[in-house]
Amino acid sequence: MNRRVFLMSAVGLSGCGFDRRPRLNVFNWSSYIAPDTVPKFESEFGVRVRYGIYESNEEMLARVMSGNSGWDIVFPTDYIVKPMLVNGLLAPIDHTLLGNLGQIEERFQRPDWDAKLEWSVPYMVTAAGICYNRKLDPAPRAWSDLWDERLKRRITMLDDPFDTMGACLKKLGHSINSSDAGELQAAEAEGLKQKPLLRAYLNAEVRDQLVSGDVLAAHMWNTTAQQAMDASSGIGFVYPEEGYAVYPDCAVILRESKRAELAHRFIDFLLRPDIAAANALAARTTTTNAGARRLLPADFRDNPTLYPGADVVARGEWAKTVEPATQRLRDRLWTELKSA
Amino acid sequence: MRQRGLVLSIYALGTYAFLHLPLLILAAFSFNQSRFMVWEGFSLRWYQAALHDAQLLEASWNSLIIALVATLFSTVIGTLGAYGLWKRTSRWLAGSLYLSLVTPEIVTGISLLAFYEWIFRYLRVQLGMHTVILAHISFSIAFVVIVVMARLGTMDGHLEEAALDLGANEWQAFRYVTLPLILSAVIAAALLAFTVSFDDYVITSLVAGVDSETLPMVIYAIARRGVNPVLNAISALIVFGFGSLILISERLRAR
Amino acid sequence: MRRLRWWFLAPSRTVMLLLFLAPLAIILAYSFESRGAYGGISLPWNIESYLRFGDPLYLAILWRSVWIAAVSTLGCLLLGFPLALYISRAGTRKNLFLSLVILPFWTSFLIRTYAWMFLLRDTGLVNTLLEKFGLIHNPLPLLYNDGAVVLGLVYSYLPFMVLPIYAALERLDVSLLEAAADLGARPWAALRHVTIPLCAPGIWAGAILVFIPCLGAYLTPDLLGGGKSVMVGNLIQNQFTTSRDWPFGSAISLALMAIVMLMLWASAKRSGENLL
Repeated sequence: MNRRVFLMSAVGLSGCGFDRRPRLNVFNWSSYIAPDTVPKFESEFGVRVRYGIYESNEEMLARVMSGNSGWDIVFPTDYIVKPMLVNGLLAPIDHTLLGNLGQIEERFQRPDWDAKLEWSVPYMVTAAGICYNRKLDPAPRAWSDLWDERLKRRITMLDDPFDTMGACLKKLGHSINSSDAGELQAAEAEGLKQKPLLRAYLNAEVRDQLVSGDVLAAHMWNTTAQQAMDASSGIGFVYPEEGYAVYPDCAVILRESKRAELAHRFIDFLLRPDIAAANALAARTTTTNAGARRLLPADFRDNPTLYPGADVVARGEWAKTVEPATQRLRDRLWTELKSA
Repeated sequence: MRQRGLVLSIYALGTYAFLHLPLLILAAFSFNQSRFMVWEGFSLRWYQAALHDAQLLEASWNSLIIALVATLFSTVIGTLGAYGLWKRTSRWLAGSLYLSLVTPEIVTGISLLAFYEWIFRYLRVQLGMHTVILAHISFSIAFVVIVVMARLGTMDGHLEEAALDLGANEWQAFRYVTLPLILSAVIAAALLAFTVSFDDYVITSLVAGVDSETLPMVIYAIARRGVNPVLNAISALIVFGFGSLILISERLRAR
Repeated sequence: MRRLRWWFLAPSRTVMLLLFLAPLAIILAYSFESRGAYGGISLPWNIESYLRFGDPLYLAILWRSVWIAAVSTLGCLLLGFPLALYISRAGTRKNLFLSLVILPFWTSFLIRTYAWMFLLRDTGLVNTLLEKFGLIHNPLPLLYNDGAVVLGLVYSYLPFMVLPIYAALERLDVSLLEAAADLGARPWAALRHVTIPLCAPGIWAGAILVFIPCLGAYLTPDLLGGGKSVMVGNLIQNQFTTSRDWPFGSAISLALMAIVMLMLWASAKRSGENLL
């Protein structure tokens, strides 16, 4: 096994001269695909795929902003699609090449950010909620539970301006996409009240501290929470009563790509129900593919963290692109909060 | 004098411990069966995971190549530059070297990205190993110049003058008089340049192309997802690997 | 003959011009432009970004960063100078000891920072040991504060202090120290009045090489400080990533660079040192 890997690396290193197959460069979130999806695609279509991963939209955007990064397909979250479009980074999606487009769930067929799916194809969905250690009794049920004095230094919030401001806004009963200055400032005030109680602003890395019990309640994305729950039975997840943010991720083709047709084929491949189901199962995520959902095993399909009931879904609010006028205010409020 | 030597040795030992202990501990836990702090038994599974990861291997190779090439160029160019500046001041060169030290990494990265973007309109090139190497040379030169200049600053200029008086030309004076004297500083500068290049994340992540992923980029991606003993294994391998190289080269030198 | 000096300087000049000054000119242009509607750059030229930086919120962040960077530099000096002294006296083993300083730094910066997180966490090694020996009952909050950030910065930038000082000490004329001893100076006095002044260029170089990256650091304060405080490096990073406000990010960076250059120039003038 060891020798084969070395041999493969050596061949890979000695350059593409050996490999005349067409190549596709796909840039996706980490742990967002089944391990055999890419090899299956490679063998079925006789191509080679370079699969890179990133951890945040900003990281991805910084790399593709130049328009000459070399990537063909990337997976932005919905609120990044408009900025990418406005900056001329996207290639149009040709529906005639996507036979499986109809597999997508009804509610994602005409989404807010791209009503005719001209530029993006929905892929998976994540949401933010509260992940907690089951030692905590009573278990948290609302955002206001993260402002509990008794949990001092055992709480963390996400190190993300949109998410954390969103939680504060929801706690006050406003929309996560609010552009009202008064509402935003009230949200910042809430954040300032909470800061002394916080251990830190952490993203996925807090998972281990939750498992070990250092942290009792964390603001967390559902996919990360699911991974924590897979690793330990002492972890729970809840969608707060006041409502929560939902982030659909979609596939887009970059305008710089010279292999648009092959890129379409890959996206179409991802839309196949069996492939989409395998991806969702392996990555432990929520798929936007209705056909795939039907193929999921029952216990996964009913997982309350990834596939919650209709009443919970109704409380969720999709994240929208922040308008330029509001962006500056939000930035400043976030800086004030963080430097307090 | 002897007493002072002892105090100094203890201080130095303490500092070395400070430097190495965290990594030794990380290395110790890389043999841990469990991924958490609790010791659950000896295991090599994390090493197996690390060595079987094709992406990791390729990234390490890329990092090595980039660091070696960039160090070679920046040390040579930087040493020549330091010597030139020592003999004759060039205000704008000195100023821009200072400036490059003062520039935050993200700004260097973004500015190079913007520069490449502009160039790519005229040349049909893409981001790749070459863009990373050029970026590394650009930021390493200042380090090399500073270290070599620090050495030149304590050097006696009369030695070269004597050589010139005795009939050597400028190149010979540099090559046979000054260079041997500053060689240890040049080596120190090269070590620093290699370190800075091998370790760089911010600038590399911005200007790397599809095929030029480096080790820090892969490590960053793994680390972002939480504690992972594979990282412990990687760091142990690096320390052990480079450490052995250094010991071997010492042995060879001592012969 | 003169041409030879030109040739010495030519490669550095070319690299600096093409790969540093030209890109920086682009950033300079950006700082005078405006943020595009959804990020990036767009046209109205103005100095608004610079004016924004004058806001007390941002100046406070700058001040904090200067403070933390200064403390970290001092820490590096206190640890690094004796180490460099020790290595320069190590005889034939010099390169070995030097390499031992550098060796940890070939593991990734991130791994080294994680090593400290590993050690300082509530369930990390330090707290576990202290609790085992009964010295404390509840874990100490060692992580996610300014102290941890300084520790991380000192740990990360120590070789940058050691190497230049070592390079300067390398050719220190030992006979000068012997002369001082002959004249009755005690070791400490010889250190203060002979060694340190003579390797001043090295100390100065080391201080610069540490202070400046510490000032612009963002990963260390983020990871070890728990994201609870903003240093100017984080501020700049945010502008280029989350906020996509390139003009403001460029303006802050250039303002920061200008301030540091001014400080360097002022203190170089005062001490009569000319580093480059």
